[in-house]
Amino acid sequence: MPKVWILRGVKKGILTSGFPKAKPTAEEIPQTSAPPTATDRSDWAEGERLCPTGAIKDGRATERAVDLGRCVYCRRCTGAGFEFAGPEVRGTAALQASVKSGLEARRRGFRRSLHILMIDVGSCNACNLEVLNLSNPYYDLTRLGIFFTNSPKHADALVVVGALNAAMVDALKRTYESMPGPKFVISVGACAISGGVFQKTEGFVSPVGDAVPVDVVIPGCPPTPIQVLEGLLLAMGRLEKRPAAREVASQP
Amino acid sequence: MIPKFVEMRRVDEASGPIQLSTIFRVGGDTLALLTDTQNNRTLLSEVPQRLGEEIGLLLKGEEASPGAPIDLDTGSKVEGFGVFTFGYGPVTSGVPEAGGFKLVTYGERVVKVIPQVNFKKRGVERAVVGSKPDDALLLVERSAGNFSASYSTCFVTAVEDALGLEAPSQARWTRAAAVELERIYNHLYVFGRLSEAASQNVATAQTNALRESVLRLNAKHFGHRYLFGLNRVGGVRPDLSKDGRKALLESIRSITREFAELVDYFLTSRIFLDRLQGTAKLAKNDALSLGAVGPCARGSGVEWDDRLTYPIEPYQDIFVNIETDRGEDTMARTMVRLREIQTSAVVLSELLDKMPSDGAAARQSSESGKDRGKFSFCRTESPSGDLIHVVQLDDQGRVSRLHVRPASLVNWLPFARSLEGNVFTDFQFAFESYGLSFADSDR
Repeated sequence: MPKVWILRGVKKGILTSGFPKAKPTAEEIPQTSAPPTATDRSDWAEGERLCPTGAIKDGRATERAVDLGRCVYCRRCTGAGFEFAGPEVRGTAALQASVKSGLEARRRGFRRSLHILMIDVGSCNACNLEVLNLSNPYYDLTRLGIFFTNSPKHADALVVVGALNAAMVDALKRTYESMPGPKFVISVGACAISGGVFQKTEGFVSPVGDAVPVDVVIPGCPPTPIQVLEGLLLAMGRLEKRPAAREVASQP
Repeated sequence: MIPKFVEMRRVDEASGPIQLSTIFRVGGDTLALLTDTQNNRTLLSEVPQRLGEEIGLLLKGEEASPGAPIDLDTGSKVEGFGVFTFGYGPVTSGVPEAGGFKLVTYGERVVKVIPQVNFKKRGVERAVVGSKPDDALLLVERSAGNFSASYSTCFVTAVEDALGLEAPSQARWTRAAAVELERIYNHLYVFGRLSEAASQNVATAQTNALRESVLRLNAKHFGHRYLFGLNRVGGVRPDLSKDGRKALLESIRSITREFAELVDYFLTSRIFLDRLQGTAKLAKNDALSLGAVGPCARGSGVEWDDRLTYPIEPYQDIFVNIETDRGEDTMARTMVRLREIQTSAVVLSELLDKMPSDGAAARQSSESGKDRGKFSFCRTESPSGDLIHVVQLDDQGRVSRLHVRPASLVNWLPFARSLEGNVFTDFQFAFESYGLSFADSDR
């Protein structure tokens, strides 16, 4: 029997996720990648003390908040009554990405197709791999009209991963400047958004948002490919009409 | 201008096949890891003066300066008609990380390549000083995300040794299982990248799909796709149940079985093999003298695997087959990785089968036993090779010094040597076959 790659490819069948038409499954967004939320039992003061990156802020009832941009999903706050699991949490707060204002006008041309360039400014490699994973058959981002590009001259969106390192500030700015407009920037992962665990290391300069204007943030440590995809679609303005896709299917 | 460590290997027929010494300069102290081949164990000791002088291998480059070149300080310059140097990086398309290369060439063949590191030096070793080991773990395991289990296991084992703390057997076996899973998905990543470089689309897609299934298994059984938060001092977080182990084993078996079929296809795919065979040869002597570790050294016929040469529990009780290959080229390194996927699956099945059930939780540390202030160390076979952590704790049990010797850092020189004389289009194959990671070497 001759070994023909293409027949093997056909034999394997389709693996691709139903997202964004269907809800993401529990396998695609594992429990521990769902954001932590406060419950009635939560002890905010204890949570603030336990949190290594300052994601949990205590104060008066209105000031209390969980800053997902800082959260590294270390699960220490479960000791103070915060929860990662629970289908109700996963249903309401699954969408972690958020869009800053002022993007509407610029993204008009990108509703159907988007070319992204990933730049690493000091990551641990996990976010890089999760973004690259989008091209594997499970996620297959080309079916949604999103493509990786290798040159900033061809890119519509810059996907930034990692804690901004002093050595990479200039490279990041020059990459951003050489992109033709209209363009936008997506920062992926706690490190890019806030510095994450690397906030106090000597290499870290500032959040990516201080060096280049960031339009969309996708929290996570690292965010799962589906969460990255969700952020990309949100940036393109393709998720608003499909609220179902923004909820995670409850666990089987 | 000397980095914090120098590494040297000698082939000494009298005392044993290989002697590996790593010299650390930790703060003001100079320490050496010496292999005691007679008793088959590794020692950490003050560096003997003579040994320090014998080491001719000095790496250039100031510590932590961005774009530091990794090159031998030989003083020779490459010159000739039409020879020029061009910079590649730190924003590149071929390497999805921040790192660069200086390529010396006259147009077709690579005369010399000088890797440039430290574009993303985060300085984890200095940042953890003064913090509790459990807090330091957060940073240590994020030094290199895809080697996270190896990093945290290595660090935690060294810390436990310093504290005189015995982790339960189940915890140690769980760690080993996580490290083997990590090896499987990293080797799959390397194979996927190689097939991508050769434009083998079906092979790329199927390998990446298999890797995704391993990542999902990680999330399901160990709580994180990249095994973050696996370890804590004195134990592990995931408590694998009997049923869980059985399910994990079944899934891994089906994944490796499917991968074995892919390998059959790969081995009959002439067009693919042609790109790998004879590419980027690293002679055994070079591998030894430049201090190559991991699958790259084994691909050049060096029998070195920390799971056997520095066995920590549970590897004394497990049969591990060292996969070596005498081919010395990219094909040999690839074959070593492909066979290691199968070996790891065998090791994993033994680990999961015989795993003791004495609990995964941390035990209280016993204050007696070890004297604080002593250097303790651990070596772990990470997917790219020998990873070393040297830890010193202070009176309160906080980290006062940490030194990490990642595998990627020592593999840059062998990589650069092997690429000399190859054509440009082989760069990707050579680079991917070494499994080099800038995050690993920059930590």
